[in-house]
Amino acid sequence: MQAGSSGVGYGLKYQVHLIRLSADGTELICEGLFSHPNEIWDLRSCPFDQRIFTTVYSTGESYGAAVWQIPELYGQLNSPQLERVALLDAHVSKIKCVLWWPSGRNDKLVSIDEENLFLWSLDSSKKAAQVQSKESAGTMHYLSGGAWDPHDVNSIAATCESSVQFWDLRTMTKTSSIDVSHVRTIDYDTKKDHILVTAEDETGIHIWDLRKTKVPIRELPGHTHWTWAVACNPEYDGLILSGGTDSAVNLWLAPTGSRDEITSDSGQNSLSLKVDPLVNSYTDYEDSVYGLAWSSREPWIFASLSYDGRVVVESVKPYLSRK
Amino acid sequence: MEMEDPPLDDKARRMRDLLSSFYAPDPSMSAGSQPKGASFDNIDTDSFDADQYMNLLVQKANLEGLLQRHVEMAAEIKNLDTDLQMLVYENYNKFISATDAIKRMKSNIVGMESNMEQLLDKIMSVQSRSDGVNTSLFGKREHIEKLHRTRNLLRKVQVFNAIAHPRVVFYGKEQFIYDLPARLGKCIKTEAYADAVRFYTGAMPIFKAYGESSFQDCKRASEEAVVTITKNLQGKLFSDSESIQTRAEAAVLLKQLDFPVDGLKVRLFEKLEQSMGDLQVKIGDIAGALEESNDEHENNLQLGFSVPHDASVREFVEAVRAYRIIFPDSESQLIKLSEDLITKHFLTTEQYMKERVSTATFLRVLRIIWNDVLVIDEVLPEGLLHDYCFKVSQSAVKQYFSSTFSHLLQDVSDALMNVHVKPKDVSEEHHLQVALESGKNSLLKGSMDLLLGLRQLLEDNLDLLVKLRELMTDWVQAGFQQFFEALDTRFLLLSGRNKLSSQGQSPREGLQSEKVICGLVLVLAQLSVFVEQTAIPRITEARTEMAASFSGSGARGYEHGPFFLPAEICRVFRSASEKFLHHYINMRAYRISVLLRKRFTTPNWVKHKEPREVHMFVDLFLQELEAVGNEVKQILSQGIRKHRRSESNGSTTSSLSNPLRDDKLRRSNTQQARSQLLETHLAKLFKQKVEIFTKVEFTRESVVTTIIKLGLKSLQEFVRLQTLNRSGFQQIQLDIQFLRTPLKELAEDEAAIDFLLDEVIVGASDRCLDPTPLEPPILDKLIQAKTAETREQNSSAASSTTQQRL
Repeated sequence: MQAGSSGVGYGLKYQVHLIRLSADGTELICEGLFSHPNEIWDLRSCPFDQRIFTTVYSTGESYGAAVWQIPELYGQLNSPQLERVALLDAHVSKIKCVLWWPSGRNDKLVSIDEENLFLWSLDSSKKAAQVQSKESAGTMHYLSGGAWDPHDVNSIAATCESSVQFWDLRTMTKTSSIDVSHVRTIDYDTKKDHILVTAEDETGIHIWDLRKTKVPIRELPGHTHWTWAVACNPEYDGLILSGGTDSAVNLWLAPTGSRDEITSDSGQNSLSLKVDPLVNSYTDYEDSVYGLAWSSREPWIFASLSYDGRVVVESVKPYLSRK
Repeated sequence: MEMEDPPLDDKARRMRDLLSSFYAPDPSMSAGSQPKGASFDNIDTDSFDADQYMNLLVQKANLEGLLQRHVEMAAEIKNLDTDLQMLVYENYNKFISATDAIKRMKSNIVGMESNMEQLLDKIMSVQSRSDGVNTSLFGKREHIEKLHRTRNLLRKVQVFNAIAHPRVVFYGKEQFIYDLPARLGKCIKTEAYADAVRFYTGAMPIFKAYGESSFQDCKRASEEAVVTITKNLQGKLFSDSESIQTRAEAAVLLKQLDFPVDGLKVRLFEKLEQSMGDLQVKIGDIAGALEESNDEHENNLQLGFSVPHDASVREFVEAVRAYRIIFPDSESQLIKLSEDLITKHFLTTEQYMKERVSTATFLRVLRIIWNDVLVIDEVLPEGLLHDYCFKVSQSAVKQYFSSTFSHLLQDVSDALMNVHVKPKDVSEEHHLQVALESGKNSLLKGSMDLLLGLRQLLEDNLDLLVKLRELMTDWVQAGFQQFFEALDTRFLLLSGRNKLSSQGQSPREGLQSEKVICGLVLVLAQLSVFVEQTAIPRITEARTEMAASFSGSGARGYEHGPFFLPAEICRVFRSASEKFLHHYINMRAYRISVLLRKRFTTPNWVKHKEPREVHMFVDLFLQELEAVGNEVKQILSQGIRKHRRSESNGSTTSSLSNPLRDDKLRRSNTQQARSQLLETHLAKLFKQKVEIFTKVEFTRESVVTTIIKLGLKSLQEFVRLQTLNRSGFQQIQLDIQFLRTPLKELAEDEAAIDFLLDEVIVGASDRCLDPTPLEPPILDKLIQAKTAETREQNSSAASSTTQQRL
């Protein structure tokens, strides 16, 4: 398993760590330490090439985004320079994130800044990225993040202050939206089409069915303070991980089931709601948890990153049996 | 030669004979010498060969013979020729004569055609005449036959009547039948319907058998008479003025007349039903009137109002009795009718119960119905109306309880909703308290009233209720269980937690209502606690007490636990109260967080100007906390605090705490600012992890503290998302420093607050490009300026608010 993690601003030297989990799963090994020119705000690794990742960085006032490649290491650990594949330099306002399509090889990238949505076509052999299309989200909406639908290469969900907007990348138009405010993170369910999970600051976690966007199909209480990050398990249905600013990672089991089950059988529904969806709470963190990722190879392992720069890898295997 | 064969007249025959006589010797000769002579001798045969003949002749005969032969033959030929000629001529003659005959015939036939037509006409006319004769005779023949048959029948009838109806015989057979219409008419005049019916029924079999034929007229006339009779009888039957006896007789007679009595029955029945309907309305009136009546006059009025009702019931009973006599086999129908009546009674009652009904009224209505039932039961003892009444009344009583419970629920929620409706009536500080108190009151009073009502119902010795006692206790228990469950759901609904979208509504329009809802949620939380800790025990107690007084019925209900489970309800409300409290805290924290978000996302922190004063968001923050404090003060009790001033001198605390803060500041002054930061970092490493989010308790302090903690945590997170320049950092430092004192005053967990405030500063310094803290003297000065300003504002604000209120 590989995971990138960003050391955000402790001191003036910014680094990217390449971490490997040892084969027996008990040890984290730092394989490489690469210096990054600026303070990193967002880091996404490429789903089809584990040596490529993107960062969004800030130089105090201005923001930038770039695609990087990890150089061959040849054994040495000291900070070699990262190879910059491309610079996503069309942005003028505050860049929020860069997205890869999670479900396979796709030479497109989407970058989101506060006001605009950019679709890039990335040519890694020529080391260049071209803006393919661009659309303004409207002056009233400040975009804050987004997710790429793993079931539809043309669909993007972007979060803004008061709603989640859905964009069609072919026409670059807004198709629909969900009214929900202050969403920190959104994540599509990779197993189930139409299921979207949102993590909001105050109101916890909501699970939405994109075919009926008026009311969420499920609500989870979230964290004592804000719910910052949320991640659907790529393998197990309804297994959701959330990280919050109350220094905890919560593991939820909230199977959304078939749609009929939820709407028609209200009696059973209320019963199932009484069953606590919280499976476990990992509380041995020193500070707020901002980053979460499931292992793509062993879906019962997740990594979490907290403010104090610690990466914690846990296995949820003991709780899976309860299903 | 052959041509001559067919006409066999004399001449030909003669010729033939001649010829054959001529040839006669030859065949006789040839017969002897068959092989040779036949062939040449017989000139007349078919096989005659002239050459052979010649050869033979030449060989046989000599010249003379030949010549002789020639002469002979020539003569013969000549003869034959003349014969032939003669024949031809004769033939021709015959032909001519035949032609003449034909010509004659032709002329004759032309005349014959007209003659034939004439003949045809004549034959036709003959035939039509014969038909006419036949038909004219037929009618008469029929009539004669009929008359003959009648005669035969009459003979038979005479014999029959003599056997079956001796009286009729008295009149004579034909005479009786023919007199019947007149007789019937006479009977109608004298109203001797019984006789008339008897006559008619006597004649009936005859009419039935022979009415089609002989007595058609008689039958028609008597039927008309009978129609009049039936009409009169029906009139009699329906007229209430007639005695029951007469009516019953009329019914019997009608039945004898084979009149469709069922139809009458139905109609009469409808009439009964109608009268029942009248009865129905009166019940409602009585109930309504009773409702209006004052307590003092109740008894009198009750008497007064029940008089017309009793009368109508009596009337109904009379009608039922009459009906029973008239139609003796109609019990089931009547029973059904009375059952309907009872059902309708209860339906009206139930309808009526939709509004608020006091137990006394309900009891009275029940009593009236029961009386009715008793009266009807006398008439219809088979009906087992008691039992039916029990059955129906069960549901009515059940509904009575359920409606009482639902009214109670409505009362409670109304009391709570008053927070929305008239927050201005009562002074702002107290409206939550008022709502809470009214909620508590209505809940407790309502349940006590209900139990009292139950007691009243139980104590009443109405048969109906006595039997229902056990069931009633059970119902009330089940009702309480359901009531509290419903109350829980209602609370949830009121709190708006179920409406997930409520959070997303635009802050502008939702501002006022949201504020109220915040308070309402707190009220709900406290009310839930109240239900759990006070109401349920009280109710249980009252119930037990009642069970003791009615050991016979109540005890069973008490053992029959599953209806009402105080423990479960308590559990439900405990969790509900916690939920509401959390919800309240979350709502409040959300508002603070919105405030902070605005504060931190608007300015450009990298280009922040040097801090000149404490930022105004601090005021807003404190205002929010004050509002929370206000609400909390109304609803929640004060917790036990270790070292706190009493709430009464809260206004003086700011001045009182000044030395404290100064002391603290002085301590911080002694250290170099930078090293202080480092120290906090180091301290954090070694300090025990502070539990920020502890369990919330139902005390003012705990709630306020939790909200402050959540707010500060949000502050910390917002700071972490920004990149600050030195001035920005200093601004935050200043704001936090200012907040330190008031927050610690408000919160009970000073350590945690300190920790969180420090965390904000640490976070800010982490995110700062140049974390140089503000010089302590400047910091001090700015804070003091702000404190002075705040105090001034407070006093002026207080005066202005008092003015507003006036």
